[in-house]
Amino acid sequence: MDMIGLLGWIPLFPLLGFLILALAGERLSKSAIAWVGVGSVAVSALLAGLVGSEFLTGTLQPYHLALGTWIEIDELSIAFGFYLDALSVTMLFVVTGIGFLIHLYAAEFMASDPVLPPFAIPCRPRVPWELQRPLDRSETQRSSKNTELNANASAFDLGYARFFAYMNLFMAAMLVLVLSDNLLLLYLGWEGVGLGSYLLIGFWYENPHNGYAARKAFVMTRVGDTALLIGLLLLFRQLHSFDIQLLMLRATAHWPAGTLMPVAAAALLLGGALGKSAQLPLQTWLPDAMAGPTPVSALIHAATMVTAGVYLIARTHDVFLLAPPVQFAVATLGAMTLLMAGCSALVQTDIKRILAYSTISQIGYMFLALGVGAWSEAMFHLLTHAVFKALLFLAAGAVILCCHHEHSIFKMGGLRKSMPLAFWSFMIGSAALSALPFTSGFYSKHEILSAVYQVSPNLWAMGCLGALITGIYSFRPVFVVFFGVQSHLVTKSPGWRMNLPLLLLIVLTLFGGLLRLPLDSVFPLVFKVDRQPNLVSLITGAAPFFGVSIAGLFYLSGAFSAQRLAAYRLLNPLRNLFFSGWGIDALYDALFVQPFKALAKFNKHDVIDDLYTMTALIGQWLHLTVSASQTGRIRWYASSMALGAALILAIGRQS
Amino acid sequence: MSMNPFFALAPFVVIAGTAVAVMLGIALKRNFGPAFAMAACGIIASLLTLRMPWRDSPIQAGLLIWLDDYALFYMALLLSAGLAVLGLCYDYFKDREGQHEELPLLLLTALLGALVLVGSSHFASFFIGLELLGISLFALIGYPLNQARSLEAALKYLILSGMSSAFLLMGMALIYAQCGELYFSGIGRYIAGQQDINVTVLSGTLLIVAGLAFKLSLAPFHWWTPDVYEGAPAPITAFIATVSKSAVFVLLLRYFISSGSYSYAPLLNVFSVIAGLSIVGGNLLALLQNNVKRLLAYSSIAHMGYLLVALIAGGSIVVETFAFYLPAYCMTTIGAFGVVSVLSTAQTEADDMACYRGLFWRRPWLAATFTLMLLSLAGIPLTVGFIGKFYILTGASGSRLWGLLLAVIIGSGLGLYYYLRIVVAMSMHGETTATVKPFGRDRASTAILAVLTLLVVWLGVYPSLLMNVIHSITYVIE
Repeated sequence: MDMIGLLGWIPLFPLLGFLILALAGERLSKSAIAWVGVGSVAVSALLAGLVGSEFLTGTLQPYHLALGTWIEIDELSIAFGFYLDALSVTMLFVVTGIGFLIHLYAAEFMASDPVLPPFAIPCRPRVPWELQRPLDRSETQRSSKNTELNANASAFDLGYARFFAYMNLFMAAMLVLVLSDNLLLLYLGWEGVGLGSYLLIGFWYENPHNGYAARKAFVMTRVGDTALLIGLLLLFRQLHSFDIQLLMLRATAHWPAGTLMPVAAAALLLGGALGKSAQLPLQTWLPDAMAGPTPVSALIHAATMVTAGVYLIARTHDVFLLAPPVQFAVATLGAMTLLMAGCSALVQTDIKRILAYSTISQIGYMFLALGVGAWSEAMFHLLTHAVFKALLFLAAGAVILCCHHEHSIFKMGGLRKSMPLAFWSFMIGSAALSALPFTSGFYSKHEILSAVYQVSPNLWAMGCLGALITGIYSFRPVFVVFFGVQSHLVTKSPGWRMNLPLLLLIVLTLFGGLLRLPLDSVFPLVFKVDRQPNLVSLITGAAPFFGVSIAGLFYLSGAFSAQRLAAYRLLNPLRNLFFSGWGIDALYDALFVQPFKALAKFNKHDVIDDLYTMTALIGQWLHLTVSASQTGRIRWYASSMALGAALILAIGRQS
Repeated sequence: MSMNPFFALAPFVVIAGTAVAVMLGIALKRNFGPAFAMAACGIIASLLTLRMPWRDSPIQAGLLIWLDDYALFYMALLLSAGLAVLGLCYDYFKDREGQHEELPLLLLTALLGALVLVGSSHFASFFIGLELLGISLFALIGYPLNQARSLEAALKYLILSGMSSAFLLMGMALIYAQCGELYFSGIGRYIAGQQDINVTVLSGTLLIVAGLAFKLSLAPFHWWTPDVYEGAPAPITAFIATVSKSAVFVLLLRYFISSGSYSYAPLLNVFSVIAGLSIVGGNLLALLQNNVKRLLAYSSIAHMGYLLVALIAGGSIVVETFAFYLPAYCMTTIGAFGVVSVLSTAQTEADDMACYRGLFWRRPWLAATFTLMLLSLAGIPLTVGFIGKFYILTGASGSRLWGLLLAVIIGSGLGLYYYLRIVVAMSMHGETTATVKPFGRDRASTAILAVLTLLVVWLGVYPSLLMNVIHSITYVIE
């Protein structure tokens, strides 16, 4: 049977799920909501499995599914169509597979979730000196929220339905994004995931900080989206099509490498990718996006949406090949981002913020790979990263849930015995994150670094330093949370719907390195992987071990103490700098937010508004003036018709 | 192989025959339902017989009618619109005092006139069609004899229509005097043979334009529009706005292309002035209007201006633009007037803005339909009106008509204001002071409105449905 034709149905089911939950969510029972929300994604995942396996066992020829045309006027043709090649199959597996596991996990995670957040999410420290005080969460606030909980029993299920409605909407948009055959449909999905992300970050909207975080994410990514929009309009204007494959062919045929057009187009596409993937200089929204529920962070802000930028660059790699300066910028920005985010991750205390910075850092590796032309290596790291980062987030979620929504790692401890599955999940996830051997992360990161070395040893050195830092920051939470003295009494343990995804993701994390998708059918083969052991691969392989050892010395054996380091006057400002994400938030605040606010305050009685008021007044005046001509008198009508005829005769004869 | 012209003329014959049959039926026994049913059957039969000439088109049917795909497409459109109006009339008139059996008869003759216009390739059929349509309309507008407003409207229409016919005939005479031809194609051959612009032919064409601009309610010949729209019964207003105007516009385009008038640059200048005046004037007049029927009248002036912009832009896209815009315009206009007609009582037309206050809370489906139609008229995406306006903008920007494009954009902005005023009124809370018809059993109107709503959304989301039909028709206008 021809399974591949089912491709068009894959995004439809989450969309249907969204519609059902959005329209009838309040009338459904809680289990029905879970069935619809998780079931729709399960069907998509099943279909994706069927379609993907048929594609992979076939000839690997790209499959094109035309669904119809919306508008076709002159050369402007806006078509709906899906395109399946090894690249989109990779993304399809990531999105539906991990998406399904996270939905299943969320069905339990969100079941106990009241509409109101059970606690105030620790607010983002705006200024470094706030750090000296421990992040306290007011007890009174928590208890007052809990009493409200019972009063809100009816709103209880509504929040559950709303959550899955948003999640399904996000899934539908993400699938459209990765399957689209043209840039316009891709842009629709691109904006759709942005909307889903916004809605889910602000899911607990009663806390104004969450709303702030959601708006921040939306506005920051919008900066990139605007660049992307201009980029795709530029491509259309110059190459007269929206179809991606056609665009790539025409770009290669018409544009000489390194000229203005491909450089401009690639730079604009890169702008979009930087925003969505939280890379320098648009990375500041991602740590704040952790305000959303943990499954959201796992799905959107680790596994799928934030990697959309990587996908976009890989999808349009022909344009980037024509623009060497932009490609160099991709690599440099990636390397800088991975280092800066890695340093920030070193000093965070909130478990989710550690993971958020590590996500930024790992995507930095992918950009580094893209920048040196190691396309399939980047996509491979995307795949493995999606798996182990989802695992880490879900394990963190389990810990957070069982520790009564505690986020600070220093308030946890010794959970190794009471939460064995979470411990092993976190352990294996961190091993993969820091690229220890026998995990999937080892293979993908090693490939990236060896490819980078063949292009630029400097970038390779930055990558290796990053790998060292990764080793430290990924094992720091492991040692702090799961070893030492147990401080929290774990009262409840996760059920099968949370455990099963963890188990499956552990398996995938361990053996994901064997999942080699035939990406060479999409990308030009650039790098020969050098399997011979030499000094370079030795250093690459050893860096994470150093990192893990350092983390062990500090947080496990207690040979060194972070407190003692903090006591040095010189180091404390550095720590604060790292903690605040290199002060970029403050910089943007001073550069953009404050001037804008000042301008808004200065222009309180909007001058521009007067223009519109004036327009309205002029419109009214003109209306009254012309209305006077409609007298209702037939004498006037007839004579003005005669005058009109004379007028047009005069105009016709004159011109 | 040429077909027997009698068979080719079947759609006309069927309509004419039904008109006679309805007349004889009335003479025997007055009966409201059967008269409408017979007329409806006639229109459907005529639609079905369109298939006969379709296979062999283009056909010269008789001396005066030229049936090509272009004509057949619009005949189908006009017949469908006529059927919808007939359905609205049935519900509108069924509970009223008086004798309404002649109404379907007049609708049929008006429709026949419109069909002849669409298929005409000769001044004689042009004029016969126009007068057949115009005189039937005069009777239809004044049909509610006991209402002063209707009679006033009918008289205004009659007198001014007579004046426009005078322009028209004078123009035809001038052209005939110069070319000695009454066939459009013959005039085209004459114009193609001339080196310079012939002043007599130009003047004649300008007079014809003046006559047609009256029918299309283009400025500065638009004066009658609000008064007649207001005075005529709502379904008849829908008929004037759609069938009559579409047929005239179709004819104008055919005449313009067949006679090669595009080579007359002064004509395009005149059109530009007319289009600009219509767009700006129509929208400004509608701006603060509180009478919904008058508001729609002014908006129709603007819409005809938009379509004229497409005609000026010309090029390969103009025929396609017409073929999309006119059906879209007909759908939305009939839908909008359909809502007005459903709400009208025997005593008063539901034309005051107050009638619509809070309609969303009383009759949500009806209000939603009206909102959709208004949004489509305003050209909001995901409605069919957006695609239509998109065509206009594409054509205008393709031909670099920046001034007119600006007028279209300003007009659309103004338009959004007054369309949304109605929507806002409908969504306001509070009881209305005006009398409106309570929820009744208007089955025909409900069905028509449902179909139109579906079409407006469906073609707005998936316009290729209609575009494919348009593309499959070969446009060779001779």
